[in-house]
Amino acid sequence: MAASLTPRKALNTALLTLGYALLGAFVLFPIYWIFTMSLKEFGDIIAYPPRFSFVPTFENYREVLFGNEADQAGGVMPDLLRFLRNSVIISSGAVLLSVILGLPAAYALARGEAKRANRARFTILSFRFAPELAIILPLYAFYTRTGLYDSYVGMILVHQLITLPLMILILMSFIRDIPIEIEEAARIDGAGPLTILLQIIVPIAKPGLASAMIIAFIFSWNNLIFGLVLAGGETRPITMGILQAMTFDQIKWGLMAAAAMVSAVPGMIASILFQRQITRGLTLGAVK
Amino acid sequence: MASVVIDNVRKAFGQVEVIKGVSLDIAEGEFVALVGPSGCGKSTLLRMIAGLEAVSDGEIRIGDRVVNDIEPKDRDVAMVFQSYALYPHMTVAENLSFALRLKKTARDKVDSRVDHAARMLGLADLLQRLPRQLSGGQRQRVAMGRALVRNPQVFLFDEPLSNLDAKLRVQMRAEIKKLHQSLKVTTVYVTHDQMEAMTLADRVVVLQGGVIEQAGRPLDLYDRPANAFVAGFIGSPAMNLLSGRISADGADFEFSPQTKLSLPEPLRPFAGRPVTLGVRPEHLNVAKDAKGAPAKALVIEPTGAETHAVLDLGGRELTTVFRERIPIAPGEIVAMSIAPGAVHLFDPASGQRI
Repeated sequence: MAASLTPRKALNTALLTLGYALLGAFVLFPIYWIFTMSLKEFGDIIAYPPRFSFVPTFENYREVLFGNEADQAGGVMPDLLRFLRNSVIISSGAVLLSVILGLPAAYALARGEAKRANRARFTILSFRFAPELAIILPLYAFYTRTGLYDSYVGMILVHQLITLPLMILILMSFIRDIPIEIEEAARIDGAGPLTILLQIIVPIAKPGLASAMIIAFIFSWNNLIFGLVLAGGETRPITMGILQAMTFDQIKWGLMAAAAMVSAVPGMIASILFQRQITRGLTLGAVK
Repeated sequence: MASVVIDNVRKAFGQVEVIKGVSLDIAEGEFVALVGPSGCGKSTLLRMIAGLEAVSDGEIRIGDRVVNDIEPKDRDVAMVFQSYALYPHMTVAENLSFALRLKKTARDKVDSRVDHAARMLGLADLLQRLPRQLSGGQRQRVAMGRALVRNPQVFLFDEPLSNLDAKLRVQMRAEIKKLHQSLKVTTVYVTHDQMEAMTLADRVVVLQGGVIEQAGRPLDLYDRPANAFVAGFIGSPAMNLLSGRISADGADFEFSPQTKLSLPEPLRPFAGRPVTLGVRPEHLNVAKDAKGAPAKALVIEPTGAETHAVLDLGGRELTTVFRERIPIAPGEIVAMSIAPGAVHLFDPASGQRI
């Protein structure tokens, strides 16, 4: 009996492994392709059939980060580091503001009356599935009139559409997992609502807070449309920086690939360092 | 230390009333156990004393202060939860000192009180551990310690031993009793286990359906239950409750015209009346070759000190407990009789003692 099961088990394992490999290739191949593209010279990039072996060059990265002295305009993309800095300011600011606003909101919703909380939850969720394009034009009009256009404050505010719902939803599920008796014990021990939130809830929900912050940061970092429409020369984020490789007369694929790789670095570092928290945050409620 | 007065208190969740007018005076230093089946309202009542549930109607006083609208943190009560509700991110020492630190108690005073409680409960070596590094029994002790260091007016216990295994439960039960005897703090203790209530409390309050069925000293409840519910709830194995009637001459209890059990003393005032007869298992005597109603042994359960037996008498199952070694086998017919002075009579309609 056991002997007949073993080959079958082995086959299952093999099929599963193959499935994972295919899935992995599907996800990773584009990254691999862009990475190799960023190391190619222009001739290698446009070669047909595609070249898998080539002499790597770091020229694209050099130009993307430090400009090209041969170019009289000082290079096509001399500003990538500034775009990077903008993105860091916008995404960090957006996440920080979302923590300040979202933490009390998530706590109130997690502990409030279930029916009303679920309705509020749905409303918050709807901010996530409304396409940004649908609201970007009125927002543009509003931003130009209020002076929020091309300002860090404006960008951080509009990024709340991305980060705040994520923050609230993820934190809400984490806080709901904390037994209510712990809070009741604290209430009897002499703690008021703010003490409970800061000294009991936050320390216990710290892993949840971490994953919510990381996920919100990555989503905010990857946003293109707000930067495209609402940011001007001063505040353009890194996603706009990549587009600088599309010039008036040509698309500089090598520069674009190198810029894309640079912009992906924070996300990659976060994914590797905080894999566990991110998985938990993204799959909340899926496994109970 | 303070008294607790519960004055005609009601609690409704929406349309559903779970506490239907309860009044209870708990004296300073008294240990009161609230006991009853699940859903009887005992935990709700305790949570109202703690301030975790609002009082719908009536008044709760701690000492001479009405506490209806006072926040839990200002009531000066300490509570031990069934789930212990320890702060998982704090060490044992931090758990114990949390309340004192919130009150901005002086550092050396906090330390000495934590130290005192830890030694009292055998936690001295565990102070730097986190709750998840403790066994169930140790967590339970931390929960008690957290209440202890507060030096509160009232201790509230919500089924504190339910999550422990049987042996530890008996051990902790004795410790709680010892603790109360040395500290003499007013204590309200909720449990569904009547044995826990009986062994621990100065006074046992039996609740059912949101009302008090009976409140009294443990042995008073056992010896003179006010109604059939209390009679059946207090005591293990439970009292035998049989419906039937007293015979016309008052000498027998009749299950049916065919089946009779003779009463130890005649009950002429009740002659001919339908009643519910209550007899504790230890007051049902069984013997071979003796006078009595013929009962058939169904199940024999020797526990060592005593033997429990379930017998069939005219189609009714009766439980008996005896300490003698009587060799009965299942299926055997034995003579059954009631010990003198051991009959409880209840009204079959109202369930009240008559």
